[in-house]
Amino acid sequence: MKVAEVGEGGLREYLAQPGLALDFGAARARIRTDLPALAAAVGSVYSNFDVEPAEGFFDVTASVRRARGPRRVLRPQIQFVADGALPFEPFPAATHLPFLEWGLNWSIAERCNQHLLLHAGVVALGDAAVVLPALPGSGKSTLTAALAVSGFRLLSDEFGVVRLADSLLLPMVRPVALKNASIGVLRALAPAATIGPVFAGTRKGDVAHLAPDAASFASRHAPARARLVVFPRYATGSATRLEPLARSRAFAKLSANSFNYEVLGADAFDAVARLIEACDCYRLEYSRLPEAIAEVERLARRAPSA
Amino acid sequence: MPFPPLAANAVALLDLLREPAHAATLSAREWDLLVRSARTARLLGVLEVRLTAAGVLPLLPLPVREHLAAAGRVAAYRRRMALYAVDRIAAILVPAGIPLVLLKGTAYAAQGAACADGRVFEDVDLMIPRPRLAEAEARLLAAGWAYDETLSPYDDRYYREWSHELPPLRNAEHPLELDLHHAILPPTGRAQPVSDALFADALPIAGSGLLALAPVDQVLHVCAQVFQDSDCVGRLRDLVDLDALLRTHGGEAGFWPALARRADRHGLARALWYGLRYCSSWLGTPAPANATAAVLHAAPGRATARVMDALLLRALIPGDPDREPGVGARIAGVFLAARAVWLRMPPWLFLYHAVHKGYRAMAGGVRPKSGISSR
Repeated sequence: MKVAEVGEGGLREYLAQPGLALDFGAARARIRTDLPALAAAVGSVYSNFDVEPAEGFFDVTASVRRARGPRRVLRPQIQFVADGALPFEPFPAATHLPFLEWGLNWSIAERCNQHLLLHAGVVALGDAAVVLPALPGSGKSTLTAALAVSGFRLLSDEFGVVRLADSLLLPMVRPVALKNASIGVLRALAPAATIGPVFAGTRKGDVAHLAPDAASFASRHAPARARLVVFPRYATGSATRLEPLARSRAFAKLSANSFNYEVLGADAFDAVARLIEACDCYRLEYSRLPEAIAEVERLARRAPSA
Repeated sequence: MPFPPLAANAVALLDLLREPAHAATLSAREWDLLVRSARTARLLGVLEVRLTAAGVLPLLPLPVREHLAAAGRVAAYRRRMALYAVDRIAAILVPAGIPLVLLKGTAYAAQGAACADGRVFEDVDLMIPRPRLAEAEARLLAAGWAYDETLSPYDDRYYREWSHELPPLRNAEHPLELDLHHAILPPTGRAQPVSDALFADALPIAGSGLLALAPVDQVLHVCAQVFQDSDCVGRLRDLVDLDALLRTHGGEAGFWPALARRADRHGLARALWYGLRYCSSWLGTPAPANATAAVLHAAPGRATARVMDALLLRALIPGDPDREPGVGARIAGVFLAARAVWLRMPPWLFLYHAVHKGYRAMAGGVRPKSGISSR
């Protein structure tokens, strides 16, 4: 049964106790909440996920609950709770889904250090994966989302999960966070895609989340070999320009853009080297999304399969 | 004295620390609670080491092995970074003839001690004689170490006048902070370990020009830290360190009598009594019968001991990972924090400090917990 098939009341029940189990692929999470609005939002952006029993072993167990005391009703706040601790200051209750998603990102990054975690979006066409590193101002999430609705499968938006033993990319299928203008752009690009509610006034402006599609979810346990590393750079009004990048440069930029490269040391070095060796690397400057998608698609089709 | 019962996940964690072979029998749900408890207690890396040594790792479910492996990697990294920092700091201070004593985890790692394996290293703890403190500070600042710029002048003064350490020092090249001590307990505290004796009996660490406290002093340092200078919250891993030290040195000739004598000398006999009590109850630390007898003269009254048992159970032992700390745990935390303050500073100083902090809190000067990083 899919999350979408569970009624709102049923979803609230799951999220109460013992929790809603979500299998992202490289990690499984158990989520709890007492906010009906968050239950509905989760139902929307995780609509294509299977409902699974919340018993057993989970990589992350987290809940978002209403604050206690006066802030339960006065300018209401919510708390993120993981393993009996509150790692963050409370957030306004109106920003519940972004708060949950950020909290899950933090929890994953804290726990999943058996893999190299690149800060990158990853999509795949057939067996060829495209790594999109998330340098500031790159528009990485927008491009990742755009590719995900244009025939690519989504492996992840935030974490490029690299298995140390063989440098394969492991899916961590999560909703893609869209900011500000990107929300409208994606809606126009893919009117049929499920985009969750818009949250105004977050630290990053307006935020909404693209729900991963059923095909991406179905392939969450299928690793992919990276064939392309594309460093996107969104620049208003610019022409679409693709520039090859030396592997050594790409190595440096990729490893500098990781959550735990230093922690993993020599093993991370070897993993990135092995990954890059199989890849063609590019810098992509763009302002018109359809052209950027077309360029990436052209490269992906040309890339050798695993 | 009989002990109040422990919660299920705590029982499981303590059992596994003592008998790693029992790991083969745990269910997925038990593992879920255990891994989360151990992580919160900062013992997941230690668990990994013990399970590996017991040869049971291949028998465990894959996700569990991955979490253990991840914890092991982070522990190894932080250990490497601690030793790297020590190496760089030693290069600055040792040539100036400043005796450098490594404390706690930093010492265990440099000595290759068993309790360093899988340990979560949080900062680098060093001790130098008080007369050399200003000089050492100057050299470190000149070499790129710096204080946090948000450190208020009041806090700075508090550290320098009333504490046993300088404010934490940071360096852009080192992920761990440096805590430079001149004593192991605050000079305002009720217990005053004899710093001269600590330095006089410190042992050289082979091939490094650095020193570590004598084993009896290392043991007493842990006891002092937990029972004389903290609110005990989350300090199970310090007891695990203590257990490891006692198991390592307990067989050495004359160790236990020397430990008792030293405890009296430093005024830490009560802290040692607590350390021995909770290590033996919760971690099964072997100690000869006369070891506790030797510090019995410093034991608290029956009622006090019962109260401490109840408080530590709630504050030091990890709670249910599916629940936030309950009323009992929070009350225990408050009492133990008050106890720590009582032991750390005389009442007039506490009043002065509290008024100042309270004023600053009302004026909005208190820093919140760090928010979500920009990931």
